[in-house]
Amino acid sequence: MSIPYEYYVALSGLLMVLGLVGVTVRKNIIAVLLSTELMLNAVNIAFVAFDMKLHDVAGQVFVFFILTIAAAEAAIGLGLVMAIYRLRKDVDVEKLTELKL
Amino acid sequence: MSVIEQLVSGLGMPNFVILIPEIVLLITAFTVFILELITKNRKVISAVSILGLLGSGLFILVVVLGILKLILSPITLKEASQNVFYSFILNNFLENFVTLYGLYVVDLFALVFKLFLIVGTIFVLIHLRPYVESKKSYYGEYYYLILFSLVGMFIMVSSPNLISFYIGLELMSIALYVLIGLYRRDYKSKEGAYKYLIIGGTGTAIVSYAIALLYGRTGTFDFKEIAKTLIISDNLDVGLIGGLVLLLIGLALKASAVPFHHWAPDAYEGATTPVTAFLAVPAKIATYAIILRIVVEAFPSVTETWGLAWALFAAASMILGNFVALRQKNVKRMLAYSSIAHTGYITAALAAPTGMGFAALAFYSIVYLFMGAGAFLLLSSLEKNEGWSNSLDDFKGLAKREPASALIMLVFMFSLLGIPPTVGFIGKLGVFLALIGYEVWWLAIVLVITSIVSAGYYIKVVANMYMYEPTVKNRLNISLTEKLSLGILAVIVLILGVYPTQIWTLTTTISSLLMAGVGR
Repeated sequence: MSIPYEYYVALSGLLMVLGLVGVTVRKNIIAVLLSTELMLNAVNIAFVAFDMKLHDVAGQVFVFFILTIAAAEAAIGLGLVMAIYRLRKDVDVEKLTELKL
Repeated sequence: MSVIEQLVSGLGMPNFVILIPEIVLLITAFTVFILELITKNRKVISAVSILGLLGSGLFILVVVLGILKLILSPITLKEASQNVFYSFILNNFLENFVTLYGLYVVDLFALVFKLFLIVGTIFVLIHLRPYVESKKSYYGEYYYLILFSLVGMFIMVSSPNLISFYIGLELMSIALYVLIGLYRRDYKSKEGAYKYLIIGGTGTAIVSYAIALLYGRTGTFDFKEIAKTLIISDNLDVGLIGGLVLLLIGLALKASAVPFHHWAPDAYEGATTPVTAFLAVPAKIATYAIILRIVVEAFPSVTETWGLAWALFAAASMILGNFVALRQKNVKRMLAYSSIAHTGYITAALAAPTGMGFAALAFYSIVYLFMGAGAFLLLSSLEKNEGWSNSLDDFKGLAKREPASALIMLVFMFSLLGIPPTVGFIGKLGVFLALIGYEVWWLAIVLVITSIVSAGYYIKVVANMYMYEPTVKNRLNISLTEKLSLGILAVIVLILGVYPTQIWTLTTTISSLLMAGVGR
């Protein structure tokens, strides 16, 4: 018995919301970065689920692009985290704010 | 014949001639990438990058002039096919201009925007080397990252498909994240880059979720196919509404429209000033161009809703951008808020989804290139000097210390404010007339009132330059090249302000061609 595609879409929506919540409430800069990656992976699930519905493969091709882009973003994000840690010896979002209104 | 050969023979060769500008730029970028490893001569690296940009730009300029000649003047097709040059243009740019199997389109709209993106980038590169050398923050990476980012913008403005749009957007943004963070031992730049990375990454995720929903609803990525599917079944269901809303949010985030603008002032303040100019002007213009293309090609059936949403974003951007800019003491941050306000002025034109509105959007974003880039680049050449902190007090008495720079700054400030005879006035007038023509009175009134409010901070800079005695007497060091390039920008702003007909005709042509969807 196969699971209908709506369940996968619902799962991806849930993960997306979790990622958004993570970006807004987490205090650790690495955890914030992880949350953005979580959102991109939620999108991957959505694409694969819609492919199930449409009996197509175009969405799965798009998943490859998202994977590469997520990897590039993670690389740059971790590089920036390293640079920030070297300059400030801290990873707390609230202690790191210098630029303000 | 193997399976792969069969597949390839069925598809045929893509038209590579129309990709020449992109190919030239990519070759330049990789050349700089390798040159930077072998040679330490900074002038060579900068010269090679500018040469590559000039080559690509000249090609586009010739093609644009050829297309305009063919479209606007009474040359018959028969005459044109006998002339070598015209038949080249005709075969490659008026027919067969969709290449890479429908993933890339090089129409006049894309070409015009690419031309101006290149112009802006050349000015940024001219100012880059003196600035980073004076700040002891030279990296060869600046050059090829800027070129890669520019290629991303090119892909974005000529994407007829959500896949190429997404790849272009990401190529542009990822290069920009690194560019902002490249400022030696400066914490603010890392913080700005990190904020942009997180908010931009969220924007990416939102845009891709929107693409997923639209794909799930319509089963295609192509703008035209999406439009067809939506016209056949125009009921607004959850998938379509969700996709549209998320796409709007993602695009507003990339264009830094209020309420998704939080990254912009921080990233702008943290980055080295020439990079800020690149971020605030070419990157923004490419985003406006793709917003325009998406609304015209993919969602012609929902332009009203889309226009209303952008009207709300625009009104919020104009109000918040201008009022917050009033209380800034740092001129760079003030210009960042002014650029948010300009996002408001430019996207306000989308509230009038007519040919006039689209032409006004294209016109204002093209002329914003000259005044926005000019203001940021002038700041960059002033900032090279010892003890210059970009605060409003630093501008006191600038007219006595540096009369030429003060005059140029005056032109840019008046143009951003929209005082005739500068081109900023014409741009605002175009948007205003488009809004009046479509009877969106409330937005037109918001535009006028916030423009008046913006005088508060633009005039403050001018007053500080001309009505105070200088507190410091030491001479400012601005090289002749920089003065020349800034002078050229200021003269363009003035000339276009007196005689905007050419650019206005050009933008009207591209917007009507885009709406007619010639050949696609």
